[in-house]
Amino acid sequence: MSLRLREMTRTGGLQLVCLVISVGFFALPLVYLALQAFKTNTEFLNDPTGLPHSWTTANFSDAWSQGDFSTEMVNSLLYAVVPDVITLVLGVFLAFPISRGWFKHSNALYGFFVFSGFLPAGLIPLFIEAQKIGTYNSRIGYLIMTSLTGAGFFFFVGYIKTIPRELDEAAALDGCGYIRFIFTMIIPQMKPALATFGIFGFVAGWNNLILPLVMLNDQSLWPVTRGLFSFFGQYSSQWPLVAAATIIVALPILAVFAILQRNLVEGVAGGAAAGSGGVTVTRNPEKIP
Amino acid sequence: MSTIPFGTKRTRRWLPWASIAVPTIGWLVFGLFPSVATVFYSFTEYSGFPGTPLHFCGLCNYHNALNSSWTDFETSVTVTLKYVAGVTVLQISIGLGLALLLRHRRRGFGLYRALIFMPQVFSVTIVGVLFSLILDPQNGPAEPAYHGLFGSTSAFLGDQTWALWLVIMINVWMFSGYTMLVYIAALRRIPPELYEAASLDGAGRFRTFRHITWPLLANATTVNVFLTAMGCVGEYALIRVLTDGDYGTKTLGMYMFDTAFGVNPSLGYGSMLAVAQFVITLVIGSALLFFLRRREVTL
Repeated sequence: MSLRLREMTRTGGLQLVCLVISVGFFALPLVYLALQAFKTNTEFLNDPTGLPHSWTTANFSDAWSQGDFSTEMVNSLLYAVVPDVITLVLGVFLAFPISRGWFKHSNALYGFFVFSGFLPAGLIPLFIEAQKIGTYNSRIGYLIMTSLTGAGFFFFVGYIKTIPRELDEAAALDGCGYIRFIFTMIIPQMKPALATFGIFGFVAGWNNLILPLVMLNDQSLWPVTRGLFSFFGQYSSQWPLVAAATIIVALPILAVFAILQRNLVEGVAGGAAAGSGGVTVTRNPEKIP
Repeated sequence: MSTIPFGTKRTRRWLPWASIAVPTIGWLVFGLFPSVATVFYSFTEYSGFPGTPLHFCGLCNYHNALNSSWTDFETSVTVTLKYVAGVTVLQISIGLGLALLLRHRRRGFGLYRALIFMPQVFSVTIVGVLFSLILDPQNGPAEPAYHGLFGSTSAFLGDQTWALWLVIMINVWMFSGYTMLVYIAALRRIPPELYEAASLDGAGRFRTFRHITWPLLANATTVNVFLTAMGCVGEYALIRVLTDGDYGTKTLGMYMFDTAFGVNPSLGYGSMLAVAQFVITLVIGSALLFFLRRREVTL
């Protein structure tokens, strides 16, 4: 009996420690920020660390209109979704012939792409190049620059190798064309890999700050990350307003996280299990192009 | 080279090339070319203002870095090394600690793990604003807490001695969930029989960790250390939001960004800094891989 009791208090203690750490250190800062958004500015200045009394929602509507977040939300969505989808499809088209060994030097080609990932980040030449070819300060240009990469390519090569070649031959015999084959046979087979990369790519694209900072000059082209950065600089003395803007910007990605957190967590754990380090949330998203 | 089942005899020859054409060209234009061109621009005095000539000057930028602006350069290299060391050591220790706490499949643990992982899905802007509020010397909650503990005041992110360490801790806060998840995946692959054997032999908690858990995590440690160090060596987005590179937080990446896109832009000198950063990344990366792999082998 006493042994069970001790066991119970120990598990209880562990539960408590884990709860305090995860909630206290990782969730509380955000909750604190959210609370500030419900204060009026005078209320905040009188009692900056206390709970809100007026529970005003005016900060949210003010931040929404003053920061022009409606346009920026649309931009963010475009900058996250379009390159993500195109990158995945192009990545499959790049990975398929290489993993099937259709080139004389497929391995060398693969090695070359891997090697290029270790070269210095070319942000400065990309900036010069973008101004020359007209992709600077342009929505389409930004999408082109972020879409034309083969992200996920390395992982795809390995993944496609697990899809039997007999499938290609059978499909070809039945008169299925190459493009149709990729879209109707290969891409559905790769759903788990594509989903993982799609989620990580979306998050990385949505969160990119440096590339919009360098490439997009007009406010009407900014994504929310860039918009919030300027908003913070402009209204840094009005914390409740800035807090409201931050919550507005954080909510969509928080919703994505809440829905897909299992996939994200499994993506990390699965990647680690494969021994490759697997999928990483791109820490320097400017390296994507 | 294997046979291609698709297409007619004529189309078969260029089919693979057509398949990889668009992503390869895109990668050449927006990936490889800018990377290689960084080295080229590092030999020029290009200011970046439209219409100014691309003056080729050999090793002038490298010469300047090592002579006239040596202190700036040296400081940013030192800051970068401190940053990488600080983030890596802290993130590995904290990530491992969290993994040991949260590895079990218990009620509520899934939620705790998700909460710890959560910060890294946020943009650096959100994290930057969040901690700017918490560490605000006038209106933030950290100030009264600090005052109560130490009886003095601090400017936190505006304090020369504290700013870098605070940025390091914020970086760790953001990404320790990732390290934790990699460690948990590895912990779950350790066969339970080993622990049973150890406890039969009378090994205590510490010795079990020292002789079973830690050695068997060598693979995960390699992955974690390498990814953490490589991920933060070029960090500047977070620093840009938090301190803008002031108060002793100017890493090489931040210095590069300032030089290339700041008030008085010099793309040539900035490119040189990007090359320097690349060299440091390469040196740290290969040194880490060498030692970590050797450690795995000798186990």
